[in-house]
Amino acid sequence: MSADKSPLSNGYQPVTWNFKLLAHDMLGGFGGMGEGMSVQIAPDGRRIIWLAHESAPKNFTAVDVSDPRKPKVVCQTDLPHANMRSNSLETTGNIMAVAYQTSKKDLQPAGFELFDISKPENPKSIGFFDCSGPHSRGVHQLWFCDSEYVHCASGSRDFTPTNPLDDQFYRCVDVRNPSKPVEVGRWWMPGTRQGDNVMPPARHPIDKGFRAHNTNVYPQRGDRCYLAYIDGGMFVLDISDKANPKKISHWTNSPPYTGFMHTIVPLFDRGLMLVTDESTENNAKDWPKLIWVLDARDETNLVSIATCPLPDPKVYAEAGRFGAHNIHENVPLPTAWHSDQIVLGTFFNGGLRAYDISNPYQPKEVGIFMPPAPPGAPTGTIQMNDVFADERGIVYAVDRHVGGLYILEMDF
Amino acid sequence: MLDLFPSREASPFGRRQKRERGSRIPVSVVTGFLGAGKTTLIRRFLGSPEGAGTAVIVNEFGAVGIDDALIRDSADETMLLGNGCVCCITRTDLQVVLRRLVFDRERGTVPRFARVVIETSGLADPAPILQTFSTDRALGGEFHIDVVLAVVDAVNGETELASAPEARKQVILADRLVISKTDLAAPNAAEQLAALLQSLNPHAAIDIAVAGALDPNRIIEPAMREPTGFVAEAQHESEHGDGITSFVMADDKPVDWPVFARAMETLIALRGPDLLRVKGLLNVKGCSGPVVVQYVQHLTHPPVELQTWPDANRNSRVVFITRGVAERDVRNLFAAVRALAKT
Repeated sequence: MSADKSPLSNGYQPVTWNFKLLAHDMLGGFGGMGEGMSVQIAPDGRRIIWLAHESAPKNFTAVDVSDPRKPKVVCQTDLPHANMRSNSLETTGNIMAVAYQTSKKDLQPAGFELFDISKPENPKSIGFFDCSGPHSRGVHQLWFCDSEYVHCASGSRDFTPTNPLDDQFYRCVDVRNPSKPVEVGRWWMPGTRQGDNVMPPARHPIDKGFRAHNTNVYPQRGDRCYLAYIDGGMFVLDISDKANPKKISHWTNSPPYTGFMHTIVPLFDRGLMLVTDESTENNAKDWPKLIWVLDARDETNLVSIATCPLPDPKVYAEAGRFGAHNIHENVPLPTAWHSDQIVLGTFFNGGLRAYDISNPYQPKEVGIFMPPAPPGAPTGTIQMNDVFADERGIVYAVDRHVGGLYILEMDF
Repeated sequence: MLDLFPSREASPFGRRQKRERGSRIPVSVVTGFLGAGKTTLIRRFLGSPEGAGTAVIVNEFGAVGIDDALIRDSADETMLLGNGCVCCITRTDLQVVLRRLVFDRERGTVPRFARVVIETSGLADPAPILQTFSTDRALGGEFHIDVVLAVVDAVNGETELASAPEARKQVILADRLVISKTDLAAPNAAEQLAALLQSLNPHAAIDIAVAGALDPNRIIEPAMREPTGFVAEAQHESEHGDGITSFVMADDKPVDWPVFARAMETLIALRGPDLLRVKGLLNVKGCSGPVVVQYVQHLTHPPVELQTWPDANRNSRVVFITRGVAERDVRNLFAAVRALAKT
C-alpha cells in the first residue's frame, strides 16, 4: 500500500476509537442537523434532546433519550417556508428559544421564537422577537441558559452594515416576560455599521463577514460575554451594564489564517479558553481550521498556547468539509456535562474527536468517531456538525446533511 | 502545569482515568516456551469477532523463530491478515516497529487497528518487553500493556518449568496463565500443572485452552479486572525458585504519596534490577479514586488515578515480584520512610 494513499480514496473508512456507539437515529429521513442541541428533563421525567435542523423544511426535532440506546422521536416541526432555517436553539427548564434566519434580507419570520415545551409532543409558542429588516437575515445563533436573557447573533431593522456580510451583531434580549421580549443591549465591531467613526475592517481573501457567531455567557462570570465574530476574531465583552457592553479584549488568528471564528468556551478554574474556527470550504481549501487553546489568566492579554492536533488534511481533502466547527460548550445547565479536561469537537468529515487537555500545552487526541457515510450523504462521508454531552456523560453528535443523531459513550 | 492551570477535576496525577490504559492502545503480551501453542491461540483469536482490528507483532528478538512460519505467508515485514488485522515480524527493535505501526495507522496505510498482540519468542524474558512500555519516553505514551499471558503446554510444561529458567520467569511475571494441549496430555496432567503454576504464581488466573480454543476475551481482558491478580488480598511471601519471591503489601489506611514515592525511589536505587514487577492500587490521601502504580526494575510507570475503585475494598494493595528482596526488608524500609517523614 502506498504511503500517500488516502482512506477516503479507498472508499470511506469509518473509525471508532474510544467511543462506543449506543444508537443512531436518522430522524425520520430529516437528518440534516444544525448547531442547536439542548437537553430537557420534561415534567414527566423523560429526558428529551431538542435538535435544530440545518435547513428547511424542518424546524426542530425532539428525541426522547431517557434510554440512550433506544432514542425515540417525539416531535418534529416544520418551518413556515423554505427560505429560512432554525440553525440554533437552547432550552432552559421548560422554555425553548429557537433562532430564525432567513436566506435573504427583509424576509420574515426573522428573529427568535420562544416555546413552552412542558409537553414535548406539543410545543406551544409563547413569544417571538422580530429581528427582520431591510439589511437583516434575523438570528443565526442564540444562547439562553438563565431563563432571563437571550444573547444572540442577530441583525436588526435599524442596523445598516457597511458590508452586507456584516449584518449580524451581538444583541441581549430580556425575555423575563416571554410574550414581550425587549432588547436591553447590543455591541458590534466598530467599522461594521454605517455611520461608525472608524474605517470598515479589511476583508479576508475568503470573505465570510465580520459578524457575530456564538455569544456565550456563563454564571461564573455573568458580567462577561465571550463573543466569536467570524472574520473579526473574538472579543471578551464586559456586560455588567447590559445596556452598554464594552470591549475588554480582542484576539484573532487571521490573517494569516482564514477567519471564521466560531465559538469561545472559557474554562474558568483553569484560566484557559477554547476558541474554535469553522471550516466552511469543501476539500479543506480553508485548512487549517482548528481548536485553539488560549492562556486566559489575564483576560486583557490572551495568549495562544496550543491547538488540538488534527490528522494530515490530504487524507480528508477529497470530499466535503474537514476542520473544526462546534465543541461541547459546558452549557451552564444541570443537564449538561462540564469538563475542563476533555474537549469534544466536531470536524465534518473528520468526525467527532475528543482531546485531553490536562496538559494544555499538549492537547492529546483520545477518541475518534467517524461513522460510515450515512445513506444519501452528498459528500460520500459523514459531515459531523455539532456535539453535546449530557450530565451523565452521554455524547450526542449530529450530521450536517442526512445522518441525524448519533448517541455515544465516552470510553477514555 | 497544575500550578499554572489548576482544575478541580484533576488530581496531582492528572486527569482521572476511566481505566488504567486511559486512551492508549491496549497491548496483550503472549509469552510461553517454544511449542507451547502461542501461535495457535493467537490465530484462533484473530479469527474471532473479538480479534478484529488486531495488530500482531511476532517478536523474534534476533533468535531464529519457528512459530512465525505458521503466520508468515509473504516475505514482507508487514502483512494484512484480513478481519482488519495486520501482522509484523520483527527481528530488531520492538519500539521501532510499534512506532512505525502508529504512524502507518495515522496515515491510513495499515488498517486502523484497535489493539496489539505481541507474541514473544519462546526463549524471551518478558521483563525487557514490560520495560519497553514503562515510560512515555519509550512506548508508554501510546501503548499500555493490559495483560501478560503465559501459555504452558500440558504435555511438556512441567518438564520445561523444571529445566528452563526462562519458562519459569514467563510464568512468574504473567498476569494470566493458559494451559494448552490438554487434549494431548495424560488425564491428570492439567490438574498437576495447574497446581505447579499456582505455586509459581499465586496471583495469576489459570485458564485451560482445548485444541487452541479459549474465550477470545481472555486474550485481551485487562489484568486489573482479574480478581486473583494485582488486586489480590495480602498474602504471605511465596518463594518461586531462582531466588524469585512475591508478596503483597496491603494497608487499610490512606497512603501519603510522598512517603510511598520516596520509599520506592530508595528501593529502586538500591535494588532496581531485582524488582521484576511491582504493581498495585493505592488509596492515596486526597484522591477519590485508586492510584495505579507500576514498576519494572528501575523504570516507573507514570501513576494514574482511576475514576472509581474496581470493588468495595478501599485498601492499598501492591504486589511485589522480586529477586532476593525480602518482604520484611521492604516493609521496614517503608516504615522507616514513614517515620522520618513525620519528624
